[in-house]
Amino acid sequence: MKLLALAAALVLAGPAHAQFNLRDLNVNRLVDTVKNVGKATREINQEDEIAIGRDVAARLVGAAPLMPNARVQRYVNNVGRWLASQTERPDLPWQFGVLEAPEVNAFAVPGGTIFITRGLLEKMGSEAELAGVLGHEIAHVLRKHHLKAIQKGAMASLSGEAAGAALSNVSSDARHKLVSFGTEMYSRGLDKGDELEADRLGVVIAARAGYDAYGLPSVLQTLQGMNAADSAVALMFKTHPAPGERLDALGKRMQPTLDAYADQAQLQQRFITETKASR
Amino acid sequence: MKFILAVLLLPLLAWAEPASTLRATELKKEPAVDAETLIELPENTAVDAAERKGGWVRVKARGSEGWVKMLSLRYGNPAAAKKGDTGISQMFNVARTGSSGTQVTTGVRGLDESQLANAQPNPNELAKLEKFAADANGAAGFAAKGKLAAKSVDYPK
Repeated sequence: MKLLALAAALVLAGPAHAQFNLRDLNVNRLVDTVKNVGKATREINQEDEIAIGRDVAARLVGAAPLMPNARVQRYVNNVGRWLASQTERPDLPWQFGVLEAPEVNAFAVPGGTIFITRGLLEKMGSEAELAGVLGHEIAHVLRKHHLKAIQKGAMASLSGEAAGAALSNVSSDARHKLVSFGTEMYSRGLDKGDELEADRLGVVIAARAGYDAYGLPSVLQTLQGMNAADSAVALMFKTHPAPGERLDALGKRMQPTLDAYADQAQLQQRFITETKASR
Repeated sequence: MKFILAVLLLPLLAWAEPASTLRATELKKEPAVDAETLIELPENTAVDAAERKGGWVRVKARGSEGWVKMLSLRYGNPAAAKKGDTGISQMFNVARTGSSGTQVTTGVRGLDESQLANAQPNPNELAKLEKFAADANGAAGFAAKGKLAAKSVDYPK
């Protein structure tokens, strides 16, 4: 009843010609539209989040396959799952993959899928560094940074009706567009604020899991020493604030946490043993 | 012979990272705030960086050796040409995959923009990904083997 009233209000508030054609309007369709607009603007439930993430993940592994080494894949999954267990969303279907790509990058997909590239893994020297990077990506999932960006994009580029369908209906055409958009988003990047927030949370998550909190800053310093014109880092640098800026922001906000958990485990030897196949 | 060469190279490798100071910073004798200050390093002092310990990095600078705060260092050598390619491997990628990135003929794949834009779903790889996932108990056992203990740490306000 409320919806009908809303639908009627929408029609009355519309352009003059809509009022003249009131009799021809399909009221049921209009009610559906209003419902779907509601769906597109409200929070996406966890089931839809996981389903959207699955479609996006399928495309990312279509761009670069998994590194064909079960030991490395299991190792990264163990580190990642242990980190995720320390967060407020421990029960998502977390899964972690090392992509067979020389580029230095990592991706967080809604619903709990995290990818890092072989190129980035090769730049690391300890499990604490891996934990810092995975912690950053886990934070993107916790705060739904990509999901919100996908939702925003869907609403901007599709009608309210189509956006609602795309977000909740697996088989719609609009869903196909949405997933393409969601995949391309990794070429455009998130807001800078989201990246800096993920850095802060990533440091905390690694510290909670018992790792040296300086793992993430340490990787950022390695990236800082690389040439931004190097094609292996071009996309990552384009889609993230400069490493120096990220380090500076961590220093300003996180110095007490970093120092309080600086003496925790680095696990260099385990990292080298478990990942040597990737080197 | 190879071994001797490796041993001779080791000390060089240990100091292989060029870096510079982001701001004026104290060079400490030990990695601690209350340790003796050896010298004051002005902003933009070139240093040779070695290992990190907690939030500290061992460096050589201006003939002295000691420790500086990690976050007061910028890695890389801004004066010299940086390592890494200059787009040449990018050119090779284009040559191999076609300028649009859509005509992959040699199986070369990667994660640049066009490859992301043109990615098609790969259900087989997705199934593999799911197979490798760890459960919470397994991961806890893995953590225990590494002597990792969970702590309560608050997110920043």
